Amino acid sequence: MEQFELLTNWAQVNVEAFVLYALAIIAIPCAFCVLFDRAIIRSGFFLIGVFGAVCGLFLILQAQFLALAQLMIYTVGITLVVVIALMLTNPRLEKEGVAVEGRERFSGLVIATVFFLTIYCALRSESWPLSSLRMNPENVKQIGAALITTYALPFEFASVLLLAALMGAILLAKAEPKNDVSKIAGEN
Amino acid sequence: MVDQIMHTGNKPAPTLATTLAFAIVAISITVAFASGQLVTLLLNLGLNTFAAYPEIFVFLVIAVLATIASAMPNSNRLAIVSIAGVMGYIALTYNQDMLIKYLSLAALLFSIGMYGMVVSRNAVRVLMSIELMLNAVNLNLVAFARYVDPVHIRGQIFAIFILTVAAAEAAVGLAIVLAIYRNTSTVDMEKFNLLKW
Repeated sequence: MEQFELLTNWAQVNVEAFVLYALAIIAIPCAFCVLFDRAIIRSGFFLIGVFGAVCGLFLILQAQFLALAQLMIYTVGITLVVVIALMLTNPRLEKEGVAVEGRERFSGLVIATVFFLTIYCALRSESWPLSSLRMNPENVKQIGAALITTYALPFEFASVLLLAALMGAILLAKAEPKNDVSKIAGEN
Repeated sequence: MVDQIMHTGNKPAPTLATTLAFAIVAISITVAFASGQLVTLLLNLGLNTFAAYPEIFVFLVIAVLATIASAMPNSNRLAIVSIAGVMGYIALTYNQDMLIKYLSLAALLFSIGMYGMVVSRNAVRVLMSIELMLNAVNLNLVAFARYVDPVHIRGQIFAIFILTVAAAEAAVGLAIVLAIYRNTSTVDMEKFNLLKW
């Protein structure tokens, strides 16, 4: 009990760390569920949990614009597209019951663990140039000004990229009636 | 330990006992570490090396226990791995700066996505893992914008560009998956070997 009193005192002092850990407790199990849930449609919905938790992290990092963009693009948009793709493909891999070979899974586990530990050790041993300044409360305004002045060219490129990518996606996903080609070829 | 999670289909339903025991042990050792009593315990036991780095000790104990618990028959491996991940993360970052807490969480999410990308057979699940990794990178950039560069917040602007590219990538990737499915009637990564000679 004494330990829990110490922890509650800690939580009252370090509100940000407390909220961070609360969101991490949502995000990490949801991420594992995305990978390992047998019903893949359910793992698509667990993806919403991860993205929602990251949206909360953006809010406590005082990135309000990005938090809302995350909510709209990732949590709603991309998850919706993924779920629709799942419904269209309907793989039934579960019934086949075969997994990637054990050797590959083991090497994947080793790679991921070593990667995480390397990054963690590098993060701890680095001395970060932390700034004690406060964030500008009007940072949405600041982002908007930066996007049309300093970063105007990348912004335009990004919009062209998005347009081209979406047109390409429509072309790729469009159901081509296969008969037409042969019919036209036959007529010629 | 993680390997067999996906294929518990035909086995009997997992019982709670192993999972619950593992959860209680993992949570209590993390709480003992966070309240500082683990260090005194380790010093009393004479483990001075571990007392200098108690978080490494907690991480190793949790990893070993998770391996044992998930090797037991009828254990809920998904729950065990989740608890181990959360408790290991809390133990590794408890005494660190806020920036390191965010960056470690992002690294953890990135590694989870990387593992999923390697082992998934379903192409759509591979795309989901890639979205996870992109999201982790975004978290990194926003954390840098908050703690390293709060005046110009360049990290947030880069995060906006990554958001754009991620949306484009999701649309094109899923369209490619659909096109492949239409031609081969499968989304199994193992069977995408049309280019293999």
